[in-house]
Amino acid sequence: MAYKYPSEKIFVEALKAKFAGLDLSEQKVRYVRAGYVQNARKREFQAAGERVAAQRGMQQYDVNIHCGGMTLGQRQLVPYKISTTPDIVEGDDLHYVNNPAMQQMWDDIKRTIIVGMDLAHETLEKRLGKEVTPESIAGYMEAVNHTMPGAAIVQEHMVETHPGLVDDCYVKLFTGDDELADEIDSQYVININDLFDKEGQADQIKAAMGKTTWQAVHIPTIVVRCCDGGNTSRWSAMQIGMSFIAAYNMCAGEAAVADLAFAAKHAAAVQMAEMLPARRARSPNEPGGLSFGYCADMCQTQRIAPDDPVRCTLEVVATGTMLYDQIWLGSYMSGGVGFTQYATAAYTNDVLDDFTYYGYDYALNKFGDDGSAPNDLATATDLATEVTLNAMECYEDYPTLLEDHFGGSQRAGVMAAASACTTGIATGNAQVALSAWYMSMYLHKEGWGRLGFFGYDLQDQCGATNVCSYQGDEGCCLELRGANYPNYAMNVGHQGEYAGITQSAHSGNHDAYCCNPLIKVCFADPALVFDFSHTRKEYARGAMRTFRPAGERSLVIPAGI
Amino acid sequence: MAYTPQYYPGASHVAVNRRKHMSGDIEKLRTVSDDDLVAALGHRAPGADYPSIHPPLKEMGEPDCPVRQMVEPTPGAAAGDRVRYSQFTDSMYSAPSIPYFRSYYAAINFRGVDPGTLSGRQIVEARERDMEEQCKATIESEMTCPALAGLRGCTVHGHSLRLAEDGLMFDMLQRTHMEGGNVIEDKDQVGVPIDRKVNLGKPMSDAEAKKRTTIYRTDGVKYRDEPEVLDHVHLVHHRRTMYGYRPETAAETAPGVGPVTYHTV
Repeated sequence: MAYKYPSEKIFVEALKAKFAGLDLSEQKVRYVRAGYVQNARKREFQAAGERVAAQRGMQQYDVNIHCGGMTLGQRQLVPYKISTTPDIVEGDDLHYVNNPAMQQMWDDIKRTIIVGMDLAHETLEKRLGKEVTPESIAGYMEAVNHTMPGAAIVQEHMVETHPGLVDDCYVKLFTGDDELADEIDSQYVININDLFDKEGQADQIKAAMGKTTWQAVHIPTIVVRCCDGGNTSRWSAMQIGMSFIAAYNMCAGEAAVADLAFAAKHAAAVQMAEMLPARRARSPNEPGGLSFGYCADMCQTQRIAPDDPVRCTLEVVATGTMLYDQIWLGSYMSGGVGFTQYATAAYTNDVLDDFTYYGYDYALNKFGDDGSAPNDLATATDLATEVTLNAMECYEDYPTLLEDHFGGSQRAGVMAAASACTTGIATGNAQVALSAWYMSMYLHKEGWGRLGFFGYDLQDQCGATNVCSYQGDEGCCLELRGANYPNYAMNVGHQGEYAGITQSAHSGNHDAYCCNPLIKVCFADPALVFDFSHTRKEYARGAMRTFRPAGERSLVIPAGI
Repeated sequence: MAYTPQYYPGASHVAVNRRKHMSGDIEKLRTVSDDDLVAALGHRAPGADYPSIHPPLKEMGEPDCPVRQMVEPTPGAAAGDRVRYSQFTDSMYSAPSIPYFRSYYAAINFRGVDPGTLSGRQIVEARERDMEEQCKATIESEMTCPALAGLRGCTVHGHSLRLAEDGLMFDMLQRTHMEGGNVIEDKDQVGVPIDRKVNLGKPMSDAEAKKRTTIYRTDGVKYRDEPEVLDHVHLVHHRRTMYGYRPETAAETAPGVGPVTYHTV
């Protein structure tokens, strides 16, 4: 890609919007200490807290409780520009509780399971002697789309779910067999050729899949809001089994049903995330078991904009930081509200974008095309040094930028991510990119004599040692590491970036997918509630209260709440 | 205790200052009375006895233990003091010290201290009188500018915020203010008002802060212009990587040592 870093820093526009009328390079400022009233959202919160207290007769939110009466807003409460979008939002609206798009992104992952159809078809054909044809498959798809939301199909006098409450639930089919795909009613098919029409991506994916056939199953959002992710495979498998019985006129009690159930629950099931060990005690399809490679494959920007590897990479960073930092570490593992602050640094105000595009330009000039730089430590050292020094100089030259990333962990994550993503795109190798991450951390710590919170003393000081080493429980290729990888399991500000680094290598190689083509195809489906090809834009819609999520209960509750 | 100074790379005055902080070879610039320090720390009332969490060690009948025989207790441990903290925040705008070098200073030059290092704050936990000794040495020395650094037990994000118009590092809790050209502290570390005005002295001028600072900055000594420190970092990275992979090759292929030589960009 021909790319030239612009003459003005990319983050300047956001800073101008945030610090309107102020000199961005001035090191001193008059602090007005206007308090919470300077911010519309804080005023809204205070009024809401008063209403809640009046309604329930018990005190709730009161901004005056903060720091013994020293309310938020002793400095300017600035908004956030969602990177690459024109949208400026309040920081509060980037907490996932306030942002339905963020909730839906995780819901759409948690409620998904991919189930192979070939094992079931072989059971039907070889064991029962039934004929499986495109017509019979279409009949099955009709049955399963009736029953997956929670409808009865082989038993009379059954309770069922209200279709309006589960309208986001459906099953689609995808296959590497173009002939079969053409013969199935298009409403049931994720069309690989249409969706992956750039840079020969469809051929890459179909070559990896072979002529296998799979179901992308999305159970109702409202179900995973009541149950854990482990329920997805069970809910799905039960309805799949019933649908086979109905579509192929089977006996509900014959032994082959067990084979179909085993295939749907285990043998042919691809969970989005692995089960965690007992000490963390999470089922499959919970975020702690989601590998960085799968996370990268869920994001779809590489499919629609492969000529901009930085954008593809940073959309994954945005996906990962929200999921891993805000939801997984911030809530499942820790609690509290502080983790949002770490994550937003990576997808707001065009800062990470600026640092990474700078590195991309530098790498193009030094090494040439994407993915062509040597896969060695010298490349990681070179790129990480230049990108980190540039980023540190930006923070030094723009005090408002330093103020925007007022925590060292924010700065550390962003600078190391820019270094690593630059290196991933340049080399096409995630391990070399990971090495650049650690180099950036060392440079940052030594230059400013500070890094992030205590956790950065753990994984970021010892992590280089297992970049190349693949000893069990110590190292692994980055695509297969995940949120529960030993050194990564406890530290905010890292995991989403690692997912982005994974993507950077494959964007550098212009690959159609990072880790699993099935995941890539499944989340390419435009029928999903959350649009995984525009993660940051979706977050902005959520923040601006224009995103309509699934799983709402308004059909069955009193109106006018 | 015999002590051999630590060494640190770099030729600039920033690197020299880092070596000074590590070795404890620092200049005393001001005097803060014991009572004023105790008030600012906020752990006990000035003049009050040290609260204890166990009897003096001599009265405890300690077990026969070779480690106990080798290690002389610090005064605070011997007396049974509780463990308390001092925590400093240093502005990114050329404050004299930086968190890691505060920690190196404490760990190298004092016994019985437990330094913790973060981006906006640096804490030292120790037996109360030992902590006070270390804190007093720090706050009276060239490691601390009262305008650009401060004792802050909480809300430390001022370290990366723009300075206030009067040159003070931003502090949400307003623990200090300027009065007659001096920095006055009238709240303790966690922002609780104290019954006195602790005079921390005059702020350093911009020129003096830049002369005494240990941080690399574009408006001072540029990090990019300190190749020996960058090469040192590159060496650390290379060796940590290779020792985990093929330790037998780490030394021979290290930048500047073996055939692979890194040239700073």
